[in-house]
Amino acid sequence: MIDVLLVARFELHRAVRTWRALALLVLYAVASAGVAWIFVQMVGVMENNLATQLGVAQTETPGAMLAELQSSSMWRDVLGVMTGSPHLVDALVDVPPLALMNLWFGFLVVPFFAASASTESIAIDVQTRAIRFEAQRTGRVELVVGRFLGQLVLTAVAALVSVAVVFVVGATQMVVPDRLALLGWLLWFVPRTLAFGVPFVGLGLAASQVTSSPAWARVLAVGAVAGSWTAFGLARYGEQRRGFALLSDVALQVLPQGWLHGLWEPGVGWLLPAIVCCALGLAAVAAGYLRFQARDL
Amino acid sequence: MDAALRFVDVVKRYGRRGTLALDGLTFEVPANGITGFVGHNGAGKTTAFSLVSGFLHADAGTIDILGEGPFEPHRLKGRLGVLPQDAELPDRHTPRELLRHLARLQGLDRATAASETDRVLDVVQLGPRRDARIATLSHGMRRRVAVASALVGRPALVLLDEPMSGLDPVQAHGLREALAALRGEQTLVVSSHDLSELERLSDHVVMLKDGRCVRQGPVAEVTGQGAEVRWALGPGEVPLEALAAQLPEHRFHLEGDVLVQHAPDGALDTSSVAVMGALAAAGVPVRGVRRGRGLEQRFIDDVLGR
Repeated sequence: MIDVLLVARFELHRAVRTWRALALLVLYAVASAGVAWIFVQMVGVMENNLATQLGVAQTETPGAMLAELQSSSMWRDVLGVMTGSPHLVDALVDVPPLALMNLWFGFLVVPFFAASASTESIAIDVQTRAIRFEAQRTGRVELVVGRFLGQLVLTAVAALVSVAVVFVVGATQMVVPDRLALLGWLLWFVPRTLAFGVPFVGLGLAASQVTSSPAWARVLAVGAVAGSWTAFGLARYGEQRRGFALLSDVALQVLPQGWLHGLWEPGVGWLLPAIVCCALGLAAVAAGYLRFQARDL
Repeated sequence: MDAALRFVDVVKRYGRRGTLALDGLTFEVPANGITGFVGHNGAGKTTAFSLVSGFLHADAGTIDILGEGPFEPHRLKGRLGVLPQDAELPDRHTPRELLRHLARLQGLDRATAASETDRVLDVVQLGPRRDARIATLSHGMRRRVAVASALVGRPALVLLDEPMSGLDPVQAHGLREALAALRGEQTLVVSSHDLSELERLSDHVVMLKDGRCVRQGPVAEVTGQGAEVRWALGPGEVPLEALAAQLPEHRFHLEGDVLVQHAPDGALDTSSVAVMGALAAAGVPVRGVRRGRGLEQRFIDDVLGR
């Protein structure tokens, strides 16, 4: 276990010092800020529409009519689209919209971030043979699990950076009646974002274990992420088609996206989907390890 | 002889139908000495090192490391140090960070890892650059960091694949002295194409050709230092008959300008005065004297079959 933690720490250290990981972090932060800003403008437009409907004066700063907006049917429609499930709307309608937006954006972006960041982890070290310095001192399973853990921490850091950026955008660009509550909700959603990222870190690391070419590993990982979204779309489509229901049901059980709906659940209802997502991530890592443990380094 | 490392009939092939890198390799490395590992390019030196370190998997045969069987990282933790030949160092870190990490992975506690790191960086004369990013170091300096990684924690068995490669003469001399100082404390296996360097450094030698061991033993025995003297001569009639008469138990023959003297064990030192006297009497100048063939000559004889 100590070796796993040592490898994880070293991996994180390296990732932070690698321009690529830093660039991905910055890109994620900038994208979060941009999406948050667009969302704030969208809230402003919705509030102005609402003000027109109610026959009251339009607001200058988005968020001034947040309470009215959250109880409007317009916002309920938006929530329904974001969560993909109308029955979650009642449970989430009182949650700060910016926190919900950040969770939605995290679910959309974290898979690509997680897979891209982790895909070079092992492949590049096998290619340069740098892995030999560690491989003579610890087991291959510790190497893989440690790097997996390091990449998870990196994903968590990215999610926290996103929280910080979105909070700043919210605090400066819109009226936030209770900033502490906004920050609390943003942080409360981080574990869900991270849980959804686990299978994709696993996919990235699996790709990194099966080839010593970082470029191929990246193609495999990003292809797998894109493929999983495509498969998810097909499975959702197949659910309503005769003869495909069983296949679709199975696909939705093994695809992380199939558990996405559960990750929106309020209370502790999101924990089971989160655990399943973690198990899917570990399964992906284990599948890659079958190849890695037998290969020459 | 206690063997620190033993290969028995080890076979390694790259790819399903690929090159046969090791073809029943069998040899032993005695404990607590310095063994030179010699072979032409592709002879299997790096493959053998990689098998010991667990980087590669053998197709057949047995490898015994420090009496513990084949490579198993947890069983050998901290007891095996390897300098891989062409592995790039993780260059985002400083030498100190990297070596501390590797020392911790070897099972050293934080304080010991820190002191060991400082020690080995001093051994390879990199103390002043210990906090520079590895990416900013020269090739020779990186090589020395890699050598330091193999020495950290004083492992019982150290494999160094081309440790002097890329070092300038002063650095190479310093490293050779540092390695020689470890004699008797650790078992070192050093591969190099610089055979004169290996001859100076090693007690024992293992010669490889096409994935097989063609000769192994103490350097003095392999090079014939105890049984052969080579006299480099100037112009003149070499008195072979006189020498044979004076030293009947010795055999003499000429290889060009070199008079080769073969002697029974222990008789070389006492015979040199007689040989010098006979040559002087015949007016043949002596330009140089060397005991044995030299590792390089022996290697060429064995490998090229001359």
